Amino acid sequence: MATLRPILLVEDNPADVELTLAALNKTKLANEIVVARDGVEALDFIFAEGAFAERGGGHPAVVLLDLKLPKVDGLEVLERVKRHPKYRAIPIVMLTSSREESDIVRSYQFGVNSFVVKPVEFNQFFQAIRDLGVFWAVLNEPPPGDL
Amino acid sequence: MSETMAPADLLDICAQEPIRIPGGIQPHGALLVLRPGDLRVLQASANAASLLGIDLELEQAPVLTDLAFVDSPFGTDIAAWAAGEEPLYFKVQPLDGRLFSVSAHRTAQGLILEFEPALDSDASGPTLYPALREFLERTETLPGVPALAEAVAGQVRRLTGFNRVLIYQFDPDWNGMVIAEDGDGTLPSYLDLRFPASDIPAQARELYLLNRLRMIASADYVPVPLVPALCPSDGAPLDMSLAVLRSVSPVHLEYMRNMGTAASMSISIVIGERLWGLISCHHAQEMTVGAQVRAACDFLGRIVAQQIDARERSAEMDERLRLHHLETELVAHLARAATFQSGLVERAPQWMGITNARGAAVLSEGVVLTAGITPPVDKVIELAEWLKSRKIEQTFATDCLSEHWDRGADLAEVASGILAVPISRLHASFIIWFRPEIVRTVTWGGDPRGDKALDAQGRLHPRRSFESWKQLVHNRSTPWREAEILSAADFRTAVINFVLQRAEERAQLSDELQRSNKELEAFSYSISHDLRAPFRHIAGYAQLLAEEEPNLKPLSHHYLDGITHAALSAGQLVDDLLRFSQLGRASLKTSRIDMAKVVEEVRHSLDTAEGERAIVWEIGEMPTCWGDPSLVRQALFNLVENALKYTRGRDPARICVFGAERDEDIVYTVADNGIGFDMAYAGKLFQVFQRLHRPEDFEGTGIGLALTKRIVDRHGGTVQASGAVQQGATFTFSLPKREKGKPRGNA
Repeated sequence: MATLRPILLVEDNPADVELTLAALNKTKLANEIVVARDGVEALDFIFAEGAFAERGGGHPAVVLLDLKLPKVDGLEVLERVKRHPKYRAIPIVMLTSSREESDIVRSYQFGVNSFVVKPVEFNQFFQAIRDLGVFWAVLNEPPPGDL
Repeated sequence: MSETMAPADLLDICAQEPIRIPGGIQPHGALLVLRPGDLRVLQASANAASLLGIDLELEQAPVLTDLAFVDSPFGTDIAAWAAGEEPLYFKVQPLDGRLFSVSAHRTAQGLILEFEPALDSDASGPTLYPALREFLERTETLPGVPALAEAVAGQVRRLTGFNRVLIYQFDPDWNGMVIAEDGDGTLPSYLDLRFPASDIPAQARELYLLNRLRMIASADYVPVPLVPALCPSDGAPLDMSLAVLRSVSPVHLEYMRNMGTAASMSISIVIGERLWGLISCHHAQEMTVGAQVRAACDFLGRIVAQQIDARERSAEMDERLRLHHLETELVAHLARAATFQSGLVERAPQWMGITNARGAAVLSEGVVLTAGITPPVDKVIELAEWLKSRKIEQTFATDCLSEHWDRGADLAEVASGILAVPISRLHASFIIWFRPEIVRTVTWGGDPRGDKALDAQGRLHPRRSFESWKQLVHNRSTPWREAEILSAADFRTAVINFVLQRAEERAQLSDELQRSNKELEAFSYSISHDLRAPFRHIAGYAQLLAEEEPNLKPLSHHYLDGITHAALSAGQLVDDLLRFSQLGRASLKTSRIDMAKVVEEVRHSLDTAEGERAIVWEIGEMPTCWGDPSLVRQALFNLVENALKYTRGRDPARICVFGAERDEDIVYTVADNGIGFDMAYAGKLFQVFQRLHRPEDFEGTGIGLALTKRIVDRHGGTVQASGAVQQGATFTFSLPKREKGKPRGNA
């Protein structure tokens, strides 16, 4: 593994950001964790545009994407990434409070890699975040040559 | 002619009697037919010359005024009338030294002059006036038709001197009934007797409309022929429709002799264009009634017709008004009622009252409601189906249902009479009123089935015996009056408007419901995201705090646990509520469900959480069913979870799960030996947020059973619970065996 790819957390709620970061920190992952607070920031980071035009580090190892976001919502971010031939291989996990069936259906239609409803119980939440981090950032082998 | 001839044919023969052109007159008077222009005599009754004391040589076509009347004012009088426009002529004239009543009228064939020897009464014309005036004054205040009829009978008898005067009323089928009578006892009473329609055939009734008064001076008379037999003006027999001396049918004379009457007179009572009845006068001996008195009787007949008409109309109006009041009251109540059907039942007396019925039923939207005395519901439905096949526009009324509908005979006791109005064009929706059978004894003047017989010459004889004949009338109710039928028709309009209005309201309501459903969906969506998050945050921070500060005092730890617990249960509540609300709108994704597998999964997922408890599982047969697998799993899960929860403390806990096959569905049972519940609260079990236990005893959000019920409801099944305190609980729910609409055996 030459470079550790960053994990992109897209989340507008500061409490969720803090708790998710706390959970990820506990997993002791070495990956950098980048936080985007709305859909536009998320897309800029992924496509290395705007404020992130100069960033290095290649594609994120995984995008943890909230559904409800200011400006451009999570489903749209998902759709635009998955439609893009260059970026569609980036793993995207919907991490959301919503159990709404239509959201789940549409996410899968757009090609989401997994859909996780945040558990209320913190230990379960922690477990879920840790599993996600370990799976996508450590265990999962990305497609070759997509840096 | 065949002996097997049907009665209808016999009546036709009777109806063919040439009553307008008998070719002769009764012998107590004489008749001349004159040509209008020159008053030449065209025809004369064979007795004219002798009765009037003139020489009459018809071949010469003598002019009337050239006959013996030269020195009489009569000739000039008639000539003046003939030249004028007056339709009728009537005067008492001295001819050949005798007084004659002379009457004349115009016909297409010529002027018909009739001569009758004058009676004393003919000279006393003016004295009739006080009697008529007195009669009018007396009868104006009489309330009803029967009293009026009786007064008329008495008055006519006093004026004419007949032995017996009957007031004879036709029913809608032209049978006659004697409704009033005045007599001196010479002739038998006919009061209340009925006579079949064939006694006065249609062509006679037609003639009675035209000619309001007929008289027969003797039942034994020999008719005097007209000479020549055919009227020279057109070569046809003379039409004597309006001639008072017209000779009558020999059948009628025989009828009179059978009744023991030698003389008769009848006066038509005509209301509007309809022959309402007759004033029928009879005498045991031969007699004539003078023209003046006849004119008075004719006048009486006309007055009485008007008075009857007025009374019938006013009675009808009163009744209509009364029914209208009732109907208004009823409709006002329907507007307030939950549904018009329930409104009808709540006001049953008015409902039946608007048609004076004894029972009523309403069939609409698959619901049959009845009030009062009606046939059983299944018969009412059958009746409605039959009514639908008749394609009734407004109303259908009969006082003898069995006459129209074979199966109606079975219902005769309570529904001989029905009055029905359709309240939907598409469905067999009706309001039907019922009247019970009235078994009546009807006394006929002879067998109404008609025993007229043809003699060897093929001539008709009326029935020879005149014994009264009694008949029990079955399968009939009292007839529906016009006011009642109108009332039903009015009410029908009101109900149809009412139904339409309700349908509009319902459509509007459903629009509103759809709108509010959409709002609710948006609301629950935002709850799912926004309300759930803070609970998660509270639980998360509490956990982090506990980790950051491992040395907290035990009480502080306890408080932190409390925070976590509260946040978790609030989060659970939101999750449960969401699942419950989603259930209403998400569509079912049905397939065949292996229930044995489902119960195994449910048991496994719950068993692991229960740790060390002693639980005896008794899993029986679990037949497959048809439904949404994830929902059905949820339904069963909730019941089994409950069973585990409420058996806490039982050693061992015993939980039975099994299914049983029925015709169309499977009934699954989840039973336990837990703390049970009081059946008094059974109704509350399946309602949202209803809990029967304190939260510290048994945790839960109060949604689980409501969710199970909703899932089962959506599959078209039912849920039931039974139990007793400390005796365990048994829940059963049914699910369809096969896909909806799929035939049996194809599952």
